[in-house]
Amino acid sequence: MRVGFAGMTHLGVNSAAAALARGFQVTGYDADGDLIAGLRRGEPNVAEPGLPEILRKHAAQASFTANLGDLSGCELVYIASDVPTDDSGASELAGIRKLIEAVSGVLAPDAVLVILCQVPPGFTRALALPLERLFYQVETLVFGQAVERAMNPERFILGCSDPAAARPKALEQFLSAFGCPILPMRYESAELAKIAINCCLVSSVSVTNTLAELCERLGAAWPEIVPALKLDKRIGQHAYLAPGLGIAGGNLERDLATVCRLADEQGTDAGVVRAWIANSRNRRDWVLNALHEAVLSKLEDPVIAVLGLAYKQDTRSTKNSPSLALLGHLAPFRVRVYDPVVPASEAEHARCHEATSELDACEGADALAIMTPWGQFGRLDPAQIARKLRGKLVLDPYAVLKASACRAAGLEYRTLGLKAGT
Amino acid sequence: MITHLNPAPRNPERVVLLGARGFIGSALRKLLDRARLANLALTSADLDLSTASAADGLAALLKPDDAVVMLAALTPDKGRDVATMMKNFAMMQSTCAAAAKVGCTHFVYFSSDAVYSAAESRVTEETPPSPPDLYGAMHHTREIMARSLPKIPVLVLRPTLIYGLEDTHNSYGPNRFRRAAQKEGKITLFGGGEETRDHIHVDDVAALALRCLLRRSAGTLNVATGVSHSFHEVAQAVARQFGNIVEIVKTPRANPVTHRRYDIAATIKAFPDIRFTALEDGVARVHREMPGKG
Repeated sequence: MRVGFAGMTHLGVNSAAAALARGFQVTGYDADGDLIAGLRRGEPNVAEPGLPEILRKHAAQASFTANLGDLSGCELVYIASDVPTDDSGASELAGIRKLIEAVSGVLAPDAVLVILCQVPPGFTRALALPLERLFYQVETLVFGQAVERAMNPERFILGCSDPAAARPKALEQFLSAFGCPILPMRYESAELAKIAINCCLVSSVSVTNTLAELCERLGAAWPEIVPALKLDKRIGQHAYLAPGLGIAGGNLERDLATVCRLADEQGTDAGVVRAWIANSRNRRDWVLNALHEAVLSKLEDPVIAVLGLAYKQDTRSTKNSPSLALLGHLAPFRVRVYDPVVPASEAEHARCHEATSELDACEGADALAIMTPWGQFGRLDPAQIARKLRGKLVLDPYAVLKASACRAAGLEYRTLGLKAGT
Repeated sequence: MITHLNPAPRNPERVVLLGARGFIGSALRKLLDRARLANLALTSADLDLSTASAADGLAALLKPDDAVVMLAALTPDKGRDVATMMKNFAMMQSTCAAAAKVGCTHFVYFSSDAVYSAAESRVTEETPPSPPDLYGAMHHTREIMARSLPKIPVLVLRPTLIYGLEDTHNSYGPNRFRRAAQKEGKITLFGGGEETRDHIHVDDVAALALRCLLRRSAGTLNVATGVSHSFHEVAQAVARQFGNIVEIVKTPRANPVTHRRYDIAATIKAFPDIRFTALEDGVARVHREMPGKG
C-alpha cells in the first residue's frame, strides 16, 4: 500500500519516516524542490535523532516529489505540514487550506484524506470534502523525539464524521501496523483532545515551575520532591515535572492561545490558562534576573558565555527559544555563544563571538549560562569550565551538570528548583 | 514594559520639570544639573497648575522640543478627599492642555504604585491597576489622561516606596523610622513589622528617570529595586546606624499582614546594567547626610 504525505516539514517528514519503517510505500510531496532534493539524498532539513538513518535505509520504498500529481497513486494521504503561528500563538491556517484544496484535487476517487496538522476545533468538519473519506488524526510530535514517537505512538486519536462507522480499509491497514489502540471520536472531540493533552502538560509544567521557584526561596530541593510525585498514581512516572524556562517551541503556545480564544467566544473562564501563560513568561526571565543580580549590575563590560541556542535539545528549532530571548536582552554586553547545530548568527547579536566549542565559549567569560540541555553539555568537566571562566557563576536551569561537581570545582552553581549555594 | 525611541542615549533639548520642589523633583533637578542638561524647573510658586489660567501660562513656557516630566501632585498627606483628587485632576488637565497645544518630544508622568490593589503581593507592569482609594484612582486616571496626549510618546513611571533625606511625607518606613529614632530613641512598628515592601532611594529613582529621558522611553515601568524587606528589617537597618541604642517597639496588630514584591524583569530588559542602592547602604547614606545625627 502506498501512503502519501503532503508537506515535508517537521511533522510530515517524521511521519513519513515512521511509515517507511513500518514497511509502507511512501510518497512524500512538497512544493519546495530543494527540500525534496535533500530528502532524496537522505538529508532532511530538520534535526531529529534517527531520521536520516531511516530515510537512507528505506530509500527504495520512498518517493519524494515536488509534483503534486504523484499523490494520485496513494490510497491514503496525510496532510502533514506544520501550521505556522503568529506572535500571539494563533495558527496561520491559510497555507494549510490551500494545501488541502490542492491535494484533494489530485486524490484518487477512493483515496482517504487525513488531516494530521494542528487545526482548531471545527476546522475538519467545515472542509468541503466527502466526510466518509475525511479524517482528522491527532499528532503528538515531540521535537527531539519525533521519530521515536511517530514509530511507537501511545494511541491513535482519530476524528471521524461517524465514530461508529467502519473505517476505510486503507486507513485501518495503515493504523493497525503500529499496534497501538485506536480511539475513534467525532472530529471536534479529536481536535480538542489534542489541545487537552497539551493543557495537561502545561499545567504540570506550571505547577512544577511555581513550586520550583518556591524551593529556590525556601531552601527546599525540587529534585527531592519529584520522586514523591512520580510514585503517586494520580500523577505518574512520565509526568512533566522538570522545571524549565517557560513554554517554547510554538505548539503548546498555539493550543493555549486557541483555548483562550474559544473560551472568550463561549464565555468560559480561561483564567487558569492565562495564569499558565503568565507563569511561563515569568520563568523565561530566570537566567536574566540571576545574571543581573550577580554580574550585570556589578561588573563593568562583563562577558557572558551562552551554551545552546535551540529551544530544546536534539532540534535546530529556535521558535520562542529562551536562549535567543536572553541574548536579545544582553545586547549591550559581550557574549560567547556555542550550539551544536544552530549557528550563532541566529542570535543577531552585535557583540557575539561564535565559539568553536563549549570550552571556547567559556574562555574568559564572567558567567556561563547553559540555555539548552544538549546531552553533550552534560559531559563537560566542571573543573575544565572553572579553568576557562574568568568568573565563577554557572547558571544551569535544566541541571545538565552535577551541582556537587560544579561546587567542588569552585564554581557558583545555580539551577532551577534549588536555593543558590545549596 | 517600555520601548526606547532613542536607540542610544541622547540629551533632550530641554527638560521641563513640573513639581520641581517636591521630593523626587528636587533629586531629579540636581541630577539634571550635574549632567549639565538644560532644564526648566517649575514649582507651584512659579505656576499653580490647578488654576484656570495655568494651561495658557504653561503653554507660554513650553517649547515643542521639550521633554516634560510631570511630578506635580497633592500627596495623601495634603488630603485624601474628593476635593484633593479634583484639584489633582485640574493640574493634570492644565498640563495636558498645554502639552497638546505646544507639543513636546517626550512626556513622562510620575504615577504611583498606589494604582495597584493592596492585595497584589507580586507586581509587574502586567498587573492590572485596581486602585483601592481616591489617591490611587487619581493617579490611574491621570495616567490615562497622559496616554491620551496626541502624537506624544508617553512614559508612565510607578514608583514604590521612596526614601531619602529630603522626604517630606514621613510615611511609615525608613524616613519615619529615622526621624523617630533620632527624636524619640525608639521605632514603633505596626504589629511585628512583618510586612515586606520594596524601598528605593530617591537618587535611584532620579537616575532611572534620567535614563528614560535620554532613551526617550515610552510605555509603563514600575520603579522598584526588586528586593523587598520587612519593616522590622528596615527598622533594624535604621537602628544599626544609631549604634543599636534605638529600641524597636512592636504593637498589637490591627491589620492583616500583606506583602509586596516587584518583579523588575522589565527594568532589567530596558536597562540591563542598572544598579540599585541596597537598603542597608541607602539607609547608611541618608544617616551620614542627616543633620544633627545621633
